[in-house]
Amino acid sequence: MSQKNRLQSGGRIDRSKPLTFTYNGKQLEGFAGDTLASALLANGVDLVGRSFKYSRPRGIVAAGAEEPNAIMQLGATEATQVPNVRATQQELFSGLVAGSTNGWPNVEMDLMGLVGKIGGKMMPPGFYYKTFMYPQSMWETYEKVIRQAAGLGRSPKEYDPDIYDKMNQHCDVMVVGAGPAGLMAALTAARGGARVIIADEQNEFGGSLLSSKETVDGKAAAAWVASVTKELEANENVLVLPRSTVNGYHDHNFLTIHQRMTEHLADRAPNGQVRARYHRVRAKWVVLATGAHERPLVFANNDVPGVMLAGAVSTYINRYGVVPGNELVLMTTNDNAYRTALDWHDAGRKVQAIVDTRKNPTGPLVEAARERGITVMAGSAVIDVQGSKRVSGVSVASISEDGSKVTGSVKKLSADTVASSGGWSPVVHLSCHTGSRPQWNDEIIGFVPGATVQKQLTAGAINGNFTTSGALEQGKQAGADALEKLGLKAADVAVPATVEIKESKPMALFHIPHTKPTSQAPKQFVDYQNDVTASGIELACREGFESIEHVKRYTAMGFGTDQGKLGNINGMAIAAKFLNQSIPETGTTIFRPNYTPITFGAIAGRDCKELFDPERYTAMHKWHLEHGAKFEDVGQWKRPWYFPKAGESMQEALNRECLATRESVGILDASTLGKIDIQGKDAREFLGRVYSNAWAKLPVGKCRYGLMLKEDGMVFDDGVTSCLGENHFLMTTTSGGAATVLTWLELYHQTEWPELEVYFTSVTDHWSTMTISGPNSRKLLEELTDADVSKEGFPYMDWKPMTVAGVPARVFRISFTGELSFEINVQANYGLHVWEKLFEHGAKYDLTPYGTETMHILRAEKGFIIAGQDTDGSVHPYDLGMGWAVSMNKPFSFIGKRGMKREDCVRSDRKQLVGLKTIDPNIVLPEGAQGVFDPTAPIPMPMVGHVTSSYWSANLGRSIAMGFVKGGLDKMGEKVYYPLVDGRIVEAEICSPIFLDPKGERQNV
Amino acid sequence: MSDVKTEAVTVSVINQLPDASIQGQSPLFHADLATIAKSGPKTGGVTLKEEALLGHLTLRMNPENADQLKAAEKVLGVALPTQPLTSASKGDVVVRWISPDEWLITVPGLKAFEVETAFQKEMKGHFQVVNVSGGQTIVKLSGKYAQYVIKKSSPIDIHPSEFPVGKVVTSVFAKSSAIIRRSGENEFELVIRRSFSDYLWLWLQDASREYGLVIEA
Repeated sequence: MSQKNRLQSGGRIDRSKPLTFTYNGKQLEGFAGDTLASALLANGVDLVGRSFKYSRPRGIVAAGAEEPNAIMQLGATEATQVPNVRATQQELFSGLVAGSTNGWPNVEMDLMGLVGKIGGKMMPPGFYYKTFMYPQSMWETYEKVIRQAAGLGRSPKEYDPDIYDKMNQHCDVMVVGAGPAGLMAALTAARGGARVIIADEQNEFGGSLLSSKETVDGKAAAAWVASVTKELEANENVLVLPRSTVNGYHDHNFLTIHQRMTEHLADRAPNGQVRARYHRVRAKWVVLATGAHERPLVFANNDVPGVMLAGAVSTYINRYGVVPGNELVLMTTNDNAYRTALDWHDAGRKVQAIVDTRKNPTGPLVEAARERGITVMAGSAVIDVQGSKRVSGVSVASISEDGSKVTGSVKKLSADTVASSGGWSPVVHLSCHTGSRPQWNDEIIGFVPGATVQKQLTAGAINGNFTTSGALEQGKQAGADALEKLGLKAADVAVPATVEIKESKPMALFHIPHTKPTSQAPKQFVDYQNDVTASGIELACREGFESIEHVKRYTAMGFGTDQGKLGNINGMAIAAKFLNQSIPETGTTIFRPNYTPITFGAIAGRDCKELFDPERYTAMHKWHLEHGAKFEDVGQWKRPWYFPKAGESMQEALNRECLATRESVGILDASTLGKIDIQGKDAREFLGRVYSNAWAKLPVGKCRYGLMLKEDGMVFDDGVTSCLGENHFLMTTTSGGAATVLTWLELYHQTEWPELEVYFTSVTDHWSTMTISGPNSRKLLEELTDADVSKEGFPYMDWKPMTVAGVPARVFRISFTGELSFEINVQANYGLHVWEKLFEHGAKYDLTPYGTETMHILRAEKGFIIAGQDTDGSVHPYDLGMGWAVSMNKPFSFIGKRGMKREDCVRSDRKQLVGLKTIDPNIVLPEGAQGVFDPTAPIPMPMVGHVTSSYWSANLGRSIAMGFVKGGLDKMGEKVYYPLVDGRIVEAEICSPIFLDPKGERQNV
Repeated sequence: MSDVKTEAVTVSVINQLPDASIQGQSPLFHADLATIAKSGPKTGGVTLKEEALLGHLTLRMNPENADQLKAAEKVLGVALPTQPLTSASKGDVVVRWISPDEWLITVPGLKAFEVETAFQKEMKGHFQVVNVSGGQTIVKLSGKYAQYVIKKSSPIDIHPSEFPVGKVVTSVFAKSSAIIRRSGENEFELVIRRSFSDYLWLWLQDASREYGLVIEA
């Protein structure tokens, strides 16, 4: 049998289903039910990586989320690469390809090992700060080397072919963890009629029971687990989530769960299935039944492969049928870990000794060991380990009663495996996420969840109740408490019977002494992943770091993917001892989300590619696509930018569109303009308060342009509002400003002027808006309507209802091009019909579609501003030369009136919007260019304002621009200079921004 | 085409529909659901149907004004739902509560102008009725798995105990928004905006793919 450490029978694996996988290029075999870690151990793989700083060989230590060393790179192809997967949490599947991430170029023959041995000496705690801060410019170089040496995984270089998604969930009770406590809590809550979600990070429910030989309800624990799980699954109000890690516990009982849906099946999700799902849960009550992690002991060379957690060794034996070695030495501070020696012995392999740090261990488990003939060495400790790529022996010595020093002579034992247990640390991580500080509990020698503001209950080992019977009892209680708080009636649930084995008092010991002082002893590792040692923590304390938060940051303890699950308590205890204070006085660092790493795909969900950001389309979008439009993003709208013909450059297309509009007729899809229907007897008054100009006398049938200001007097939006009825107006806004303006109106109405009778409703999407513009636009419209659209019958700035191409429409005679224009509004369900009819009839006039860029050029020729391009929130109407759009005589004030009168707003040298004509008419100034009055001034030259709009005008045969110039309105005809990045200085003359038809004769025809 | 004058307010109400010879194009017209319905799968976990070209009217008024409530009931044949997040329906008229002073009324497309006009005639005082038929459409999702599609898209709780038949919410839907109404045990109506409809059509196809999507014309 190639799996030399595999037992012939036992465990929850299926020996009839062998699976082949590849590890570091080598083909190995495991069984269905294995994790990658158990399969590696079955095959006798000792080495899974190299350490971060010292490049020391490392092996598998744990069997769960707390594993610090077996951090794998997964993926059979480039696109399916997944970094930093814990081998202990990855289920084995056929064809799995894994490699160790640490170790460069490979774990067995590590070049960095040599460097590391030298580098390690040069890398004491705080080495980033000490070594790499200066010179700062070198940091990028250091970082590259360190990253590679540090052996963090790598991300794929190709697109991830799998999909991930998110689901929102709601429940009465969210149970985190499906061990004995969680299962009982869920069962109780579910039977009481609550809506329950129960999630567990493992593939099977059961938690500690999966690797235990206990009985529950008189049968094998697994049978009880199966029956409870079955009942939960059958209840339609219960959502059962295996392979689902509750990674974050946020405010207001909002929890995030990372469910791995197919990662146990294949490299790529089969049949396009969702690979991982991110659940966003709102829970009325949360039951944390997260269990506990075993705490290793800190002793010299405790990182040699073969040194493991006692509980993990039992898990591998009982759950996976793998004995990860031949000769075991167990070091423990408690009775609980004796089980590991018994399991090892019962599996037929040799237990060299149980080394118990307590003077007089007693109790049934101790007796059971002695009955099996196992040597129990009381009052002793494993103070050192021999071996480099695998444990070859240990040094054992007697220690003082308080565990602070070695008292006896050192004895050597041969061993290939060292299991250690310093007791159990409750998994308080999720409780910490909500801001709750954990409390030290002397009784259990660990931190338990502290006071919380969340609607949170806890049950089982998280409370320090490490027995199965206690977990079951507390689980039931938590479920019952939740039911009561929810106002649901109590459920009929009996706590199943268990057989309790009495355990005697454990010893509070974290750091095993050595014959040499800590600073001179071989390395005693606290945090494997970051190579933090006991002497490193002492050094940090010696250097003045007394706060545990500072010690953490200085030494990098708890920084890795394992987030200190294994080492933090030991580190705090060592710091406390050194600082001569208690652990509660030293305190603990706080755990933050996420509990374990989450793949970015799950965080992105389906919000990627074409679903990343909604694209908003008008009713005519299909036509635009069919006619080769290039699109521009305006907010989320896709607006046609220009319509190039075959072989045309952008500028050529713009020139053609501009000339066609001025010479015949052009058409623009203006549907994206914000449109707000306003009704009420005070609508007119309201308009007068939110616009800077006057609205009192606008008659029905007329349109008016308005500027909207913020309280500070600065322009924030503009548009034309039309009087549809005495108490009925249609407001238009900029395309990007529609939602902001509606919110603004509602805000002022609801908070400042609720007495005004006025209602607002958005009709942006309801109306399709198309503008025909140019000298032939009237002729075109006449062909499609019976209405009188003559100069006299339908004058400039009027609107009229009429039928266009058979469709009822509101037509507005307003113009943003300065040409004779008609803005046709029809219900959007008929927009494309009217648009196409216009083209049918427009062919003879060479009706030319144009996009936003031509619109920008045409309006700039007329000096019309675009809010957001020619304004930036710092200019008032007078700065824009638009004092004509301000009425200071309105009986009620308007928003911005007082703001505009502030001292700074009335300075004569404010930056003001003017036209700019380059002396060389062929030069188009870059938008954003900064002007100066004196180009010979020493650098930094005083800057006087920037170019806001700049185009080539085909109609004028030259460049045109608008921009801000200090005091510009009084500087007509004067020069301003634009030094460009390429060294050129462009000279321009300040002029009126109205470059074309200053009298407005073209639109008034 | 007529302007309707009432005592207190003068508003412009026009019949916006052309004669039947001109086909209206709903927001999902371009998706050609009819063809997909013919050629696509006939069974699946989620069924999608566009309730196209209905008349959509936004009503704004004071819910404490008894005369206006009476007038609304007279026009619609059903009382306005004043309980938040509820709806009322009778025949082909559905009224959805949107906010304390706003309702969305849907009627057959051809009846919109008639209802609009009736409001102007029957209702006095301060109110607003706006035809928004061109700006939105209704997508109906039904089937056993329709609820999962909603759960992927919106943070609201749609468990029947929290979201019974008839309940209405306006909420985020993917990265857009929707007015969601439960019209049956396994049936939801989404009122979505025209400009976002293509995005939501893509989203809904994607979100229902694992359950099997059936298009009904």
